Parts: sequence; structure tokens; C-alpha cells
Amino acid sequence: MAMVSPATPDFKPSQNRRPDAPDRPEDSVPTRIVLAMQGVTKSYPNGRVALRGVDLMIPEGDFVFLVGPSGAGKSTVIKLLIREELPTKGLVLLDGRDLGRLKRRDVPKVRRRIGVVFQDFKLLPNKTVRDNVGFALEVTGTPRRQIIPAVDRVLRVVGLTGQADQLPGQLSGGEQQRTAIARALVHNPRLFIADEPTGNLDPVISWEIIQLLLRINELGVTVLMATHNADVVTAVRRRVVALENGRIVRDELGAAYHRED
Amino acid sequence: MVRFMAFSIRRAWHGFWKNGLMSLAATATMVLVLVLLAGLIILVTGLNATLDYVQSEVQVVAYLKDSTTQQDVIALETTLQRMPQVTQVKFVSKAQAYQDFLARHPGEADVINSLPNNPLPASLQINLSDPSNYVDVATYLNSEPGVDHVMNIQQTVEQLNTVIGVLQTGGTVLLVIVGLIVLFIVVNTIRLAVVARADEIEIMRLVGASDAFIRWPFIIEGAMVGLFGAAITNVLLLLSQGPITGFMAEYFKVLPVEASATVGPTIGLIVLGAGVGIGVLGSFLSVRSYLIR
Repeated sequence: MAMVSPATPDFKPSQNRRPDAPDRPEDSVPTRIVLAMQGVTKSYPNGRVALRGVDLMIPEGDFVFLVGPSGAGKSTVIKLLIREELPTKGLVLLDGRDLGRLKRRDVPKVRRRIGVVFQDFKLLPNKTVRDNVGFALEVTGTPRRQIIPAVDRVLRVVGLTGQADQLPGQLSGGEQQRTAIARALVHNPRLFIADEPTGNLDPVISWEIIQLLLRINELGVTVLMATHNADVVTAVRRRVVALENGRIVRDELGAAYHRED
Repeated sequence: MVRFMAFSIRRAWHGFWKNGLMSLAATATMVLVLVLLAGLIILVTGLNATLDYVQSEVQVVAYLKDSTTQQDVIALETTLQRMPQVTQVKFVSKAQAYQDFLARHPGEADVINSLPNNPLPASLQINLSDPSNYVDVATYLNSEPGVDHVMNIQQTVEQLNTVIGVLQTGGTVLLVIVGLIVLFIVVNTIRLAVVARADEIEIMRLVGASDAFIRWPFIIEGAMVGLFGAAITNVLLLLSQGPITGFMAEYFKVLPVEASATVGPTIGLIVLGAGVGIGVLGSFLSVRSYLIR
């Protein structure tokens, strides 16, 4: 039975990262590319073309906002990354591995290298915070004695140690999202994907979540966040990739939500 | 592997009890199905037993004239026993025939007692190695002066055979149809139980659980539904064994054996196998639709 690498989310900054320029891979020493999309086109069976020739590179340690109006193709990008969908044309490479040619039985292994959170948290209501997080390790065959310390560590990262034994129903929206983030982190993923993580949260809580994601990024995890939240994107000034009608219309570092010309 | 098994069984167990209502529905459906199955099996087995019994019974009966002497009877018996087609010859005296009649129709003793003398003839009951040899034996018997007339049980057997054949085919067809309908119902009930936990499956897929980790807990849970269903069904069967035997005795009067006594353990095993099989199949089919993408 294939075992997952022991989950040890201590999030040491990777060696390739330079503290002074964490978001500028192009002027740093050769950096590993976590995600590469090359000429990706995706059309659905109903004829809708969601993506047209998308090229996107995300180096290790990057923090990327994926923005754009509804239907621009953000969700499709994420579905391709978690291999929920396959590209019609082009390559999607995670750590150099072509997701389009992945064998079915290798899909779970790739998913363990990606942590993903959604607008609707997707927590199991009858499990405690601790069990929800541990579930991700349990169902991938991690021994129990490794699960407990790993869960404790990620709960510390997201600041939920005190709520570990509560059920999702007893938590606020922000705490639920932090539980989901902890679960996504517990496998020590190469790429952390957040799909509208603040969509259900009020502005103050949204800020807390963004701060948490930035902190996780500082700990060395590559983050891709799809969002509509213009205030957050503009305030944080990170790399912004804007999609429109399935095309990348802008890819700027330290940018705002909207084009600033 | 051990960890995987422990995980699957633990999750199946939790899944079964945490989704109590769904498990109850699935188990109840399972019990209905299995009771139906067991009933049909008992019926068909009863029919078969009847057929076997009748076939093994005396195949030719030669009724003897009252005037026939003891010596004539012995001579007849000896000749018959020498015939290769004959496996067994049994002499039933007039007195024995009277006793048999009383035993079979206890209420009608008055009828026979009202007659001046015993009207029942003595007879020779002959078993044949092969029922189709009937003609040779009958021809011989008819030529004997002591024989009043020869009755061919074979004819009766053939008629019975036709009736039972129709019933058996009908029963089997019914069993298959009912089985399919019921399989459909059970699979759908289990599917509902799986659908109720679709979010759980989705999360498992998202965090990178392999198909085996997703599938096996549900399959074990299906087996549990089958196991519980079979256990309940068997208890019901056990409780109703008395009445069933009574029913069998009532409707298959010729049947000398207690059908449920011989059939019991076999039916228990069939019920168990069918229950677990249907449960596992139902879960497998239900989860499959979530895994294939």
C-alpha cells in the first residue's frame, strides 16, 4: 500500500526563496516551477469554450490572485489544476508532471500535493475540527501516530488549537474556513488553491483569512487564490492574473484588482 | 493493509450507525427481499420433494382377486422378483389395506365399517428400476389369473410431473423477476444511503483518497446491511418454522418428511449469501458512479 509522505507541515521557507523578493521569480536564481499551463484550451461537451490558449507559470513560493468576472474561466483553471477536468488542448504541468496524461490511479497522489479550499468550506458537520483535518490524512492511509502531531501543527498555524474539539456548527464562518485551510495544508501541499475563500465571509473576517493565506505563503507554500474581492487584491499588491472570456488579459506583479493605466 | 482494513471496517461501522435511518431502510428492504426469496425457495423445494417422493413410490400396483391363494401370491412375488426390471415387491394384505385406509382417512371409519365385509383388495406394490419398463411388467401381470387389475401409477406421476414442472418453471421465473425487482430496490436504497454522503465522498476525492479507500467502507457497509438483513430473516424463518411445516403438511399431504427440517440450514445459508451478495453489489454499483469521472 502506498503511503503518503509523513505530513510534517512545518513550512520552512524553501531554499530558492530570497526574503527580499519573494514574488519576483524572474529576477531570482533559477526557481522551480510549481505550475505551468501551456496553450491550454478547454471546451465543454455543450460547446462552451471556457479557456482559450492560456499560458501561466507559477514558480515556487509565489502568491497569485486569479481575478476576472464570473464565467471568465477561473473555476475551469482550478478544475484543471485538481484534475477534475482535463484540458482539451495544451499542457497542465504540476511539478513538471502532465496532469492530462495522468493515469486514473495516480490522480489521488497528485491531489495530495494540492491543497484546496472553497467558498463553501466543505467540512463534515458531524466531525470535530480535529477530525475534519485529520480526515484528510486518515483517508490517505497515514498511520494514526503521525496524524495527531500533524493535525496539531496545522491547527496551530491557522490558530484553531482552542477550537479543536468543536463541531463545525459551533464555529463562525471564518473559523470554518480556517478549518478547511488547515485540512488543505495537512498534506504539506506543493500548491495551495483557494477558490473564492472569502466569498461567504464579511470584510473583517475576509481580511483575517487573507492574512492567514499570506502567512502560509511566507512559510513557503505557493498560493493561488481565485477571487472577486477587489479591495483585498488591490490592498495586498501581489501578482494578479486577470482572465476574461477564457483568455489571460493581464499578468502583473504588485498589481491592483483593476487595471491601473 | 491491516491499517486499510481497520480503517474501512471502522468507517463502515460508523457509517452504518450514524446514518441510522438509511441503514434501517436498507436493512428492512433487505429483509423483505430475503423473506420473499426464502418463501419461494421453500415452495419450490416442497414441490420438488413431492415429485421425488411420488416418483420413488410404488410405480405399479396389481390389485388381487379375493380368491387368490397364499401360494398364488408367493408364486407371483417370486416371479416378479426375478424380473430384472423389478427392484422391489411388497404384498399388502386386505387387513393391511384396511388399516392403511383408516390411517389415511380417520374420519371415514364408519363408512367402511358399515359394509358387511372388507371391500379393500389385497395388492402387490411393485417398484421398477426404470418407470418406462412399466409395459413389460403390466403385460405379465394382466396375464395372471389372480390379478384383478393393474394400476399404472406412472400415468399419475407423469401428470403430476407436468403440473409440478409448470409450477417449478413459473416459480423460477417469478423468483428471477422478483429477484431483479428487489435487487433494483435494494441497490437504490443503498444508493440513497451513499448519496446522503456524497459530500463525504467529494471531500475524500479532493484530499486525495484512493478509490479503494472510498469504495471499501461502503462495500463493507453494504455487506453489513446484508448480514443484518439475513440474520433478521433467519430469525423470522426460525420462528415461523412450525407454521411452515404445518402449511407444508397441509398442502403437500403426500410429503412424509418435515420439509423445513431438512431445508432449514440450506435456506439459512442461501439467505445469508444472497443478503451479503446483494448488499455488496448494491454498494459497489452505487459508489462506482461517484468514482468514474
